[in-house]
Amino acid sequence: MRPSLPRTPKRLDAIDGARPMDEQLLAMIVGLTSEVTVLRARLDACERLLSASGALAPGAIDSFEPDPEAAVQRELLRKATLDKVFRPLREAAEAELAAVSGPAQENG
Amino acid sequence: MSDQMSEGRAQLDHPLIAVPSHDELTEQLFVRDLKLYVMSQIEPVQARIAAAEQKAAEGGNNSAGALRERMGHHESFSTWLSLKRESQRQLWYTVAASVERQAPELEALAAIDAPLGSVRTDPDFAVPEYITRGDIHLMPGGNAHDDGSILQGALMDRGGAVYMLGRNGGMLNDLRGQTAMAHVLTRWPDMHPRRILDMGCGIGTSTVPAATCFPEAEIHGIDVGASMLRYALARAEHLGACVHFSQQSAERTDFADGSFDLVFSCVMFHETSQAATMAIIAESRRLLRPGGVAVHLEVPLLHDNSDAWVELSGELEAQYNNEPNWRGALSSDYRSLFEAAGFSAVETGYQATSPAARKGPFRYSPQSEGVFRSWFVVSGIA
Repeated sequence: MRPSLPRTPKRLDAIDGARPMDEQLLAMIVGLTSEVTVLRARLDACERLLSASGALAPGAIDSFEPDPEAAVQRELLRKATLDKVFRPLREAAEAELAAVSGPAQENG
Repeated sequence: MSDQMSEGRAQLDHPLIAVPSHDELTEQLFVRDLKLYVMSQIEPVQARIAAAEQKAAEGGNNSAGALRERMGHHESFSTWLSLKRESQRQLWYTVAASVERQAPELEALAAIDAPLGSVRTDPDFAVPEYITRGDIHLMPGGNAHDDGSILQGALMDRGGAVYMLGRNGGMLNDLRGQTAMAHVLTRWPDMHPRRILDMGCGIGTSTVPAATCFPEAEIHGIDVGASMLRYALARAEHLGACVHFSQQSAERTDFADGSFDLVFSCVMFHETSQAATMAIIAESRRLLRPGGVAVHLEVPLLHDNSDAWVELSGELEAQYNNEPNWRGALSSDYRSLFEAAGFSAVETGYQATSPAARKGPFRYSPQSEGVFRSWFVVSGIA
């Protein structure tokens, strides 16, 4: 088994005025932005390669209309993404609701 | 912007450098663009906030420390610093993954049967405190990291090129070495050194230009990291240069007195300490034969300590990018230090950046021509 390179540098001084959680969130956003940038570049490469091979007509993606079955599946994909990404906000709101409504209303 | 950081993949890279896949290259370009964004879109706004703060405090305490305290009340000051540091962390993170993926290929390329040069590592080497205190430039593991492979060297090579945004000689990252040699030719056009030492050579980005400039000379390079040096040897071989690398501290080497005609370093002092800098200058003197020449190249000095923002920016860069001797190196009186060590004909100034030492420009003057367009150089005769 080959040793892996370290990923965390030694000595990261606290930044003036920054809370650790702020820094962690910012770092995650940078990481996600990097991922989205890579995905987009990869998709762009796919489109260009498919266009060059003739498999994809120019403008085919922009004029793509999903059939009803595909439209339903795509709807579900979008909903799943929203559920996943905004879960913490929903959970936090529900917890506050439970707190103001008393123990009987607690989410089971 | 150098086209060597463009999406054209293999242009002008030396054969050993880690070549990124489509996705890895996009990640690296993302880091480069993020760094440029922070530098051009966010940092100037901080500079304007600082200017406003300095104006408001006119007549009062306008030191860098007082300015830092006032800047700390602005949330954007913290987010600027956080984003800047994160961009540097992303750089190493993405390059490390790319290097690990191609480790077998890189190791096969580095396995050279009959090398021209050599590498001598020392398992008992005591790594200086300024190297172990914090990982320089946030490179995880630091300059002395060694797992027995060449991978930390490969990380430093590719990461260094991305770090400088391709502005320091693209993937060869060799403008500083070329400029140091151009300085030698500017002051001593007829010099024919027989033995040359590069102190703090890293992966040999500046050592190879010395070998190219003086093909008849015997070239040595020393540094603190075994992985870097193993990689440096393989890299030099692929570039056709014969270099003898060894793991040693520039403060005290095992070479005999007077054994070199030219001793040089590139941007090393600001990664050491003030005490080490003095020891290194003394060691340079010891290693030179009478009449031999020492040339040490650094980033531009801080001439203007009257601008608290310039001073604070340097202090922040030093603290959050782990530059152990930034302030010391940039404010030293090198002429006095060299003369105290016994050098004569000492000169300090700025050497115009050279893409290839023998082609010049052979221009050395007291004024800086700007960052990346010239480098601070101090030189003297033993």
